[in-house]
Amino acid sequence: MWKTVYNWLDERIGLNDLYTNILDRPEPKTSWWNTLGSASMFLFIFQGLTGIFLTVYYTPSPDHAYDSINYIMEGVAFGWLIRGIHHWGATLMVILVFIHMLRVFYTASFKYPRELTWLIGIGLFLTTLGMGFTGYLLPWNQKSFWATTVGTQIAGTVPFLGEFILKALRGGPDLSALTLQRFFSAHIWIIPAILAALIGIHLFLIIKHGESHWPQKED
Amino acid sequence: MNDENKKQINERYEKQLEKGERFWPDTIFKDLVMSFGIFILLLLLATFIGVPGEPKADPSDTSYIPRPEWYFLFLFKFLALYGQLPVIGKIEWLATVLIPGIAIAVLTLMPFIEKSPYRHYSKRILPISIMSIMVVGIVLLTLMSDVPTVSKDGSSLLGTLQTIAGIFIPLTAYILLFVFKKNTRFMLWTTSLAALSMILVSGTVLALAPEKEAEETEVATTLPDQIVAGQDLYSIHCTECHGDDGAVAVITGVEGLEGEKITPINSRDVLYTVTDSAMSEVIGYGRPNAGMPPFGKTYGGELTKGEIDYIVIFMRYMWDDRFEAPEIKPLFPPLADGEVPSYDVHIQPIVKRYCISCHRAGKDNNNYLMTTYEEILTTGDQVSNNVIAGDENSYLLQVIQEHAIMNPEKPEEELIGVMPPTKALKPDVIDVFIRWIMNGMPQTAEEAAALSTTPTTTPTP
Repeated sequence: MWKTVYNWLDERIGLNDLYTNILDRPEPKTSWWNTLGSASMFLFIFQGLTGIFLTVYYTPSPDHAYDSINYIMEGVAFGWLIRGIHHWGATLMVILVFIHMLRVFYTASFKYPRELTWLIGIGLFLTTLGMGFTGYLLPWNQKSFWATTVGTQIAGTVPFLGEFILKALRGGPDLSALTLQRFFSAHIWIIPAILAALIGIHLFLIIKHGESHWPQKED
Repeated sequence: MNDENKKQINERYEKQLEKGERFWPDTIFKDLVMSFGIFILLLLLATFIGVPGEPKADPSDTSYIPRPEWYFLFLFKFLALYGQLPVIGKIEWLATVLIPGIAIAVLTLMPFIEKSPYRHYSKRILPISIMSIMVVGIVLLTLMSDVPTVSKDGSSLLGTLQTIAGIFIPLTAYILLFVFKKNTRFMLWTTSLAALSMILVSGTVLALAPEKEAEETEVATTLPDQIVAGQDLYSIHCTECHGDDGAVAVITGVEGLEGEKITPINSRDVLYTVTDSAMSEVIGYGRPNAGMPPFGKTYGGELTKGEIDYIVIFMRYMWDDRFEAPEIKPLFPPLADGEVPSYDVHIQPIVKRYCISCHRAGKDNNNYLMTTYEEILTTGDQVSNNVIAGDENSYLLQVIQEHAIMNPEKPEEELIGVMPPTKALKPDVIDVFIRWIMNGMPQTAEEAAALSTTPTTTPTP
């Protein structure tokens, strides 16, 4: 029975080809340092799942954001756990992505033929920081409000374009309901979409070139 | 990179593949173990540390010290140190835009900047040195982010040391690295010494740093906590005019507003027609034309937005008959026979609820302040008679039991009226005060327990 289903699927989507091309590949001897990239991707997926749960109760308006988070923490069954994982997952993801980047730098894995993988990786690092930056405002508490005030202010010091960037980020000269709305939109739609697309390309390139081996004396 | 190099690299990789492993199951197994470990770590962090409570955002609270997300703290500190530099310190965008911009650009273009085909660290001393100093700097700046650049006594020693560790040493090391980039041994020494001296100087800064004052931000998250917080705030700021039940229609005993007619704020007229946000606006802005001062920080008052919200929640759940109040803990744990109350557990919440409204700085109260344990015992025009250990004639005990203190020189004039002026305390509250003063005013629960005649852990039924 299983065999019939498997064969039917194999004829249509080529399961055997997928297996030989993606899973059954040779790799150089990998160390634990090589697991950081996949761990970052695991965190991204996990952040996505917990984030989707959070949007069920979260309200992106200055009047209700704080109370809705309060409700998630106090009123929803296991809401504290979901939010706790999302909160700490964000912190861990920034650390992991950064260490992953350092590993690639120190082993010079960004060199031929993996230059493009590195470029995409930098994009992933920056978008991860963008996720952190936009997500930080959403609880709408003192810490997040003032952190975003400072953060956008710094972006506003760019010569010539500063005022435009500041207003584009905040949706006006001051932090307001508009800021919260656009940070929310960026946090749950725009940046994750970019992040997911970049992860896809990053993965494709990794499978194409294989993981780099630990540099030996002659390399 | 020429084709020769490329061929060599590909051949070496093929050789490594032959000695290697299979992606499935070897590599994936390791990845899964790592991800599972991180999952467990997340569960532990979320369960045992959780997310700390924070008060609601309050744009009017300019006293709040803004800090960015933790992973931008190093940049924030760098900006602060950079701002101290002479001349270029004034050109802000150099540090906020140019330097981070260059750093990110260099990082991005790494494969095109470092063009040598070699990967082994012994052939990449320069890039590894630069990155290592950068990482050490980032970590140290993050650790030092809390330390002020100017100490309380005005000395800028800490700031100078931080600038040395965070800017001068790495800058000097970078210059040396580029000048002597042919000399491997020299580069290694430079990097090690730079990293070591940065760590030492930062360690000194952290050792000299003033002890961080524990920030006490109590955030009421559950509904009962919010109602109690609102009630405490209400009794401090509102009771004087509106009464503890909000029923006052004509203000009495308040200087400047004597005889003023007001709408009882616990009436259906008010509660059914005024929305939460309108109510918080009234509290925040006041009704200046009708004599009500502003209470919100935005308009010069003392209360944050979050605190005003608590007051509104308190009014709703206590007075609005459409809302059902949850069970609320009593103000203080009831006393057993022979049990002695303490300041921390009993007196403080009572005083906060019934006395501080007037007995705090800036009010007409014969200079008797009651906001702390020390103040209750050591302030006031009648300090020697107010609270006397073991003496039931203590003025405090007399006035709360409806015996006004008469002026000994003019016997018909009240020296201190009955307290609280409008509504007598309940007998159990008065009992707490009597037991407390008769037993020598213990401050902590332990001191009180030592004075008790029956063990407090097994109260007699």
